[in-house]
Amino acid sequence: MTFALAVHSSKGGTGKTSIAVNLAAAYALDGKNVCLLDVDIRGPSLCSIFKPDTYFWINDMLSGDREIKDTIHDVSERFGTKGKFFVGYSNPDINQIRELARKDRSWQSNALKNIIKGKKELSGKNIDVIIFDTSPGVEYESINAVAASDIVLIVHNSSIACHNCTDQLIKGIYSPLNKQCAIVDNMCHPNVLGPSEEKRFGINVIAQIPCMCNVATRNNEILSLTDPDHVFSKAICSMKNKIEDFYM
Amino acid sequence: MSEKELLEEILENLQQMNEKLDSFIGKKETAPDQSKKGNIAESLDIMTLLSLPDHLRTTATTLFEIGPATAEEVSKVTLKERAVESNYLNQLVRMEHVEKYREGRKVYFRINEK
Ligand SMILES: Nc1ncnc2c1ncn2[C@@H]1O[C@H](COP(=O)(O)OP(=O)(O)OP(=O)(O)O)[C@@H](O)[C@H]1O
Ligand SMILES: [Mg+2]
Repeated sequence: MTFALAVHSSKGGTGKTSIAVNLAAAYALDGKNVCLLDVDIRGPSLCSIFKPDTYFWINDMLSGDREIKDTIHDVSERFGTKGKFFVGYSNPDINQIRELARKDRSWQSNALKNIIKGKKELSGKNIDVIIFDTSPGVEYESINAVAASDIVLIVHNSSIACHNCTDQLIKGIYSPLNKQCAIVDNMCHPNVLGPSEEKRFGINVIAQIPCMCNVATRNNEILSLTDPDHVFSKAICSMKNKIEDFYM
Repeated sequence: MSEKELLEEILENLQQMNEKLDSFIGKKETAPDQSKKGNIAESLDIMTLLSLPDHLRTTATTLFEIGPATAEEVSKVTLKERAVESNYLNQLVRMEHVEKYREGRKVYFRINEK
């Protein structure tokens, strides 16, 4: 069974991409076949991190012009992972971003069908885990990915706005779609947060990752691969184990 | 024809009559779960799906997941009665979110493609 996970948040800049990339790497290191997909169509990140040579994009899969297998790239050899590690990039070209921003509801309805179809195709290719890196808030691409996922990993920071918007997302999106959820507190300041919670909004808090300047300054690396002993990498590894134990 | 098939045929005919009646009375029957405004068909995108009442949302989500299906197939996933699902699917057809078509003796439903 292929397990799909959407890394989402109510507000931007909470660390979704950092967590999605490192979590994907951690699963691949562990021998799982992973596919990491950039569905942050409006503000793509994975292209900047992996610097691929590619002709086909996740955009082409969403529009139904390409099958998902033509849009993903094998990076397992490059990173020496035990399991297969595929990445699907969204097109950073501004003309493409503008084009997609104009798409109407019937296009988005078909995009959802294409994501679900893509998930089934990956499942036929022995992919164990699909990780969607999404854009924050209520964007079509993100909510389509949430709808196609088995679990939503909510990346949270300690701002009140993030807290309140997450509450709304749970009530208006995740619960109506019957999605399992897990919360990750990122960039925590231990003395501000107070005692760590086990549950918030009735959802398990599965990780609390401190704010560390060198996570930001080393963002050209995938720490889980280059520095497995880093606090961030260890937090990712423990998060991976919890997801396996409780949700998969 | 088995008794079950006969009953299904009757049910199907009743549903078709029901739809025709609906169109006769000018779609006056605006049940609370009919979010359709005017005569413009609404694509069933994820935001529209989220605004559907629980029972119709479950049916529509299932149809997205399993693709074109009969009421029977949908009911196996949702664990509701076939006749109940058939009713929900036909409501979604009236709202123009779902298309209904025949293949041989079977009636299939799929998310409307516009
Ligand atoms: N625990 C952390 N401590 C310090 N910096 C962090 C931490 N986690 C992530 N960052 C940094 O925060 C910045 C934003 O992270 P990232 O791009 O992963 O967020 P995002 O949620 O994907 O943003 P967006 O909403 O724009 O997609 C990056 O520079 C990243 O290196
Ligand atoms: Mg991001």
